[in-house]
Amino acid sequence: MSAALATIADPAVRAAFREWLLRVADDELMIGHRHSEWTGVGPDIESDVAMSSIAQEELGHARLIYEQIAADEPGGVDRLAFDRPPAEFRNAVLLEQPNQGWEFSIVRLALYEAFEGHRLALLARCGHEPVASLAATLGREERYHGLFAGTWLERLAGPPAPQSRGQTQSGDARARVQAALEAAWPYALGFFETTEADGTLLRAGLLGESAERQREAWEASVRPLLERCGLNVPAAEPSLGGRRGVHTPDLTQMHTEMTEVWRSDPEARW
Amino acid sequence: MERGRGVTPTSRGGPAPSWIRTLDAPADVWAVFLQARRRDAHVYVGDVHAPDAEMALLLAKENYTRRDPCVNLWVVPAREIRATSGDAAEMFEPATDKSYRFGGSYRQQQRVYRGGYHIAPTEDER
Amino acid sequence: MSTVPVTQDDPEQLAAFNARIAAGDQIEAGEWIPQQYRFEALRLIQMHANSEIMGALPEREWIPRAPSLARKMALTAKVQDEVGHGMLLYRVAETLGRPREEMYAELVEGRARFHNVFHYPADTWADVAIIQVFVDGAAMQTQGALRSCSYAPYSRVLKRICYEEDFHIQLGLDVWRALAEGTPAQRAMLQDALNRWWTPIIHFFGMPDKVSPHTEAMLAWRLKVKSNEELRQQFLRRFVPIILEYGLTVPDPGLRYVDAEQRYVYTEPDWDELKRVGRNGGPKSAERLALRQSFYRQHAWVREALGRWSAAAA
Repeated sequence: MSAALATIADPAVRAAFREWLLRVADDELMIGHRHSEWTGVGPDIESDVAMSSIAQEELGHARLIYEQIAADEPGGVDRLAFDRPPAEFRNAVLLEQPNQGWEFSIVRLALYEAFEGHRLALLARCGHEPVASLAATLGREERYHGLFAGTWLERLAGPPAPQSRGQTQSGDARARVQAALEAAWPYALGFFETTEADGTLLRAGLLGESAERQREAWEASVRPLLERCGLNVPAAEPSLGGRRGVHTPDLTQMHTEMTEVWRSDPEARW
Repeated sequence: MERGRGVTPTSRGGPAPSWIRTLDAPADVWAVFLQARRRDAHVYVGDVHAPDAEMALLLAKENYTRRDPCVNLWVVPAREIRATSGDAAEMFEPATDKSYRFGGSYRQQQRVYRGGYHIAPTEDER
Repeated sequence: MSTVPVTQDDPEQLAAFNARIAAGDQIEAGEWIPQQYRFEALRLIQMHANSEIMGALPEREWIPRAPSLARKMALTAKVQDEVGHGMLLYRVAETLGRPREEMYAELVEGRARFHNVFHYPADTWADVAIIQVFVDGAAMQTQGALRSCSYAPYSRVLKRICYEEDFHIQLGLDVWRALAEGTPAQRAMLQDALNRWWTPIIHFFGMPDKVSPHTEAMLAWRLKVKSNEELRQQFLRRFVPIILEYGLTVPDPGLRYVDAEQRYVYTEPDWDELKRVGRNGGPKSAERLALRQSFYRQHAWVREALGRWSAAAA
């Protein structure tokens, strides 16, 4: 049994923890895949390079967490990444959506980083090794991702630095960013969708905060950034399903493409 | 800043002294300096295009430190750099004997001049 | 672009410049250079920069489909490096007097050139191995030689590029090995990819040089360091053995090493194809330029937003 799960005696708790780790890994795989699609076609050459690094780190995080889950499951990390059907993925739906413009990817990254930074901090405090230490390590890389997203968001949507003569960004640019935010928000709330696993982990003391509390903390950290950029915080009903394996045609399409070569011979060494 | 020799030419108008030049870079080009480890000096590694300093630093991290160790970065607008002109290089070449600056031999002095910033250890120091 | 300068260079400065180059000196950004030197250096470096940017396109098609997480990360990093090389090279070209935005716009509008190899399709996963080993390997020959070119900013950037390309070839060999030592289907895919890429790779080095004033000038100014044929032979010496080592077939049945001449002889490729492709008439030229144009237009508002931001922050 894998290092992360072996030491959990209770099978229900073990299954719940596996499910929670799968959410983290699947989130990172999905957003890493989407970000990797920007390689070569970003808005400027330097940002293209930077976003590609972020993608590589996200894919790397997915891999490290899959390793925790799959340490002695047959086939290892690539089985987990490539062999499950879409209905077994536990990522939030927001992350499987295509890159609908640079502004959408930046908005998504900003919303995701605020969530992921907090989630990794929770995982780092779960007291369960080696996952807790791994989470602390991953959190260090997330800081740059958040800075990149926030800095870009300000420049796309927000007023320039206070030293200027107070000019604001063009209404058109901000409107685009606002539209992306409105589109993303309901799905971002899907980060906090719960299943039975959440209750199990809270009771077992592995999860230190309820999903509701996480969502409040997330909104509290995201709101100042959005307001600084002159954006309105949307009010919307959550669009759920991802944490329960209910996904969209976007995932089916992405999954088909992602697994195309692998499926041509799953037993081969590539 | 006082007028006189060596004053930043373009900021005061008028022709630049011929031994000073600007790098003639576009406004959105930032020179990047990388400090590999805590004890090291910052070293120029290249440029990035960026709309401002914050973005320049963020972009410099991934454009210049992917494979190189780094603990700190500086950026500065490339057009703010003032440089000596190419034909002033002659001034830096020691024309007369400077061995009074060196404890050792002429050979040691030449090795230092040729070796640049990094001083090679002497036999005793090795 | 006309090759005839509008006004004559000052003869004294030109003579001094030529003497410096002949003495093995390198030229730094901002120094006086003859108009023809500027024209030739810019053309050379701009085409290189364009090629890095366009070269990202065939391989990035396989990032979403890479068959393992390790390959996915490695391929993303490799293509990222190419984009980064474009960044470094455009900056060098900029020091010769052209704004990056202008060169980039010219490229996406189809009015500029990029290397022939990037006009061809990458049809299978095995193409990734061929591109990383053989296409990058070919580029390494030219880039390696030009490290001793006369324009110092280009020479410095090429050293960095060669250092990174070395990693690419190693990564490529890893993919190559997995396929060459894999299932019959994988080996067949690899051989098929090699067959399709062979001629474009031989083309890459250009036709054997004509003796001409242009070639003489390029050599004298050290904007060309080795001849096209020398570089092609260098490439064949290093990379044909790899094909044979893994029991694959060299796609050109006429290729063989002639001891007496100390060189490979090969079937003369169709140079007309190279000319057509060089004028953006290759199998994928239109599609790739259209993709670049589409993203360039899509991002126009982003460029404008950044422009407003930096103007207001100044």
